[in-house]
Amino acid sequence: MAHIPDGFLSPPVLAGTAALSAAALAVATRRSRRELGDREVPLAGAATAFVFAAQMFNFPIAVGTSAHLLGGVLVSVLLGPWVGMLVMLSVVLVQALVFQDGGLAALGANVLNLSVLGTGGGWLVYRGLVAVFGGSLRTRVAAAAAAAWGSAILIGVAVAAELALSGAVRWGPALLVLGGIHGLVGVGEGAITAAVLLPLLRARPELMRPGDLPATTLGRWTAGVGAAAVVSAVAATLFASSSPDALEAAAERFGLQAEAPVWSLLDPSAGPAVAILGVALAFAAAWLLLRSVARS
Amino acid sequence: MGFHHLDHYAGTASPVTRTSPAARVVGAVGLALCASLVPPGAWTAMAAILALSLAVAVAARIPAGVLLVRASVPLGFLVLASAGVLVMAPGTGVAGLGPLSVTDRGVVLFASALGRGASAVVAGVVLVSTTPFPELVTALRELRLPRAVTSSLALAYRFLVVLGEDVARIRRAAQVRNGGRGRVARRHLAAGMAAAAFARSYDRSERVFRAMRVRGYGDAMPTLAYQRMDRASALRVASLLAVGATLVVAARVVP
Repeated sequence: MAHIPDGFLSPPVLAGTAALSAAALAVATRRSRRELGDREVPLAGAATAFVFAAQMFNFPIAVGTSAHLLGGVLVSVLLGPWVGMLVMLSVVLVQALVFQDGGLAALGANVLNLSVLGTGGGWLVYRGLVAVFGGSLRTRVAAAAAAAWGSAILIGVAVAAELALSGAVRWGPALLVLGGIHGLVGVGEGAITAAVLLPLLRARPELMRPGDLPATTLGRWTAGVGAAAVVSAVAATLFASSSPDALEAAAERFGLQAEAPVWSLLDPSAGPAVAILGVALAFAAAWLLLRSVARS
Repeated sequence: MGFHHLDHYAGTASPVTRTSPAARVVGAVGLALCASLVPPGAWTAMAAILALSLAVAVAARIPAGVLLVRASVPLGFLVLASAGVLVMAPGTGVAGLGPLSVTDRGVVLFASALGRGASAVVAGVVLVSTTPFPELVTALRELRLPRAVTSSLALAYRFLVVLGEDVARIRRAAQVRNGGRGRVARRHLAAGMAAAAFARSYDRSERVFRAMRVRGYGDAMPTLAYQRMDRASALRVASLLAVGATLVVAARVVP
């Protein structure tokens, strides 16, 4: 369940994930433009078409269950993390708008999981592994496979966290089930990533990005962060418990509610004035947005 | 390969197609958002927002059968994805499911996810049935999505067809050379084909880049006839979303 449909996430989680995605993608847009200039658009277009086509092929993961290639790490290894994130944003956008695969309101969450964490996080793991183990062809392919597996688990953990924060599921079972499923999906993801990268880099060694080899402090730091991210994600899925976690326990102890304070304005005691204000604000927001678009 | 089979109702005269594509995108996302903001268990509000989405589908002149067929795949996925909530949601056990226990809150969340998700799916189906893909991309540009994303989406739409032809050509070449006999060989062939397809896409992007520069490519892809946002479209969608917001607020205020 890499794509979250509409109907599961709470308003604060929808707003938070949308804000984080927008911020991350603003950075990705600027950095990819700086790296590639005008070449960015055709390259991202070709890669988007490739990932979109590759995602149509499913592989079996268990009885009666199949998954498809995500492709985030594959693209980021070849084109860099910023273009990779934009490519995955385009893919997620088309899937939601054209095929209703993933929710329209949950677009921010899906972009955060698949584009920002899956692609950006996966690339960080890849770069860390390459910095530690070297940049030979076989090492790069193995690092990409491991990063693809790690990125699938990161996505699973992120989905579980968003659902648990929304109060839809308990933390323990969510981490265990979604982390476990994505761990299985990650094996296929890693295998396909390696199977495609090996012949590609053998035939076209110039596609290996030399910038992925920083034998510097930055390289060692990314290696440490990447490895820590994978270890934490795996540990979270393996040692997940169905008991309330420290955050939940602390929140309960201090009498904090799961929902953000702004939503408490809309509780039954808030009265009809807030209702009228809400409707008026919704109309005004939509009207101003659409008029500003019309004028430009 | 392409999305032409989806936008059959783009040419049908209706209030929806008279609304500009950018307003349609805002309307669809806004309806999905309204549905998501309805609290779990607010069945009346959920039914009302679903009725609102269905009313838009009727206004777009999409036949019920077509709507049902197109919504069935995402709805089927929604049912499968929601099923886990039955046992994973916190709450009191109301029924046993093997070693697992279905909780009371799980039942409410399951039904709520279906109710809220169905409205969003219908809104999405209406959007894609009435808006050709190139117009959708231009609408996203009009809504200020980064130029890199919208332009690459426009190119990807064209590349997808070319990529499909490339893969068919590579497969044909492998078949006439007796490639892909046996399970392991088939897997090697598939990986090799994917690698070759990526390499060709990469090379094509370089050629396209040079061709675009020669033809004076500036900051964005050129757009032909496009129905820009107008006052009537803005008013129509703002009114629709105001009704949706009323239902959300009513669901949150009325216990």
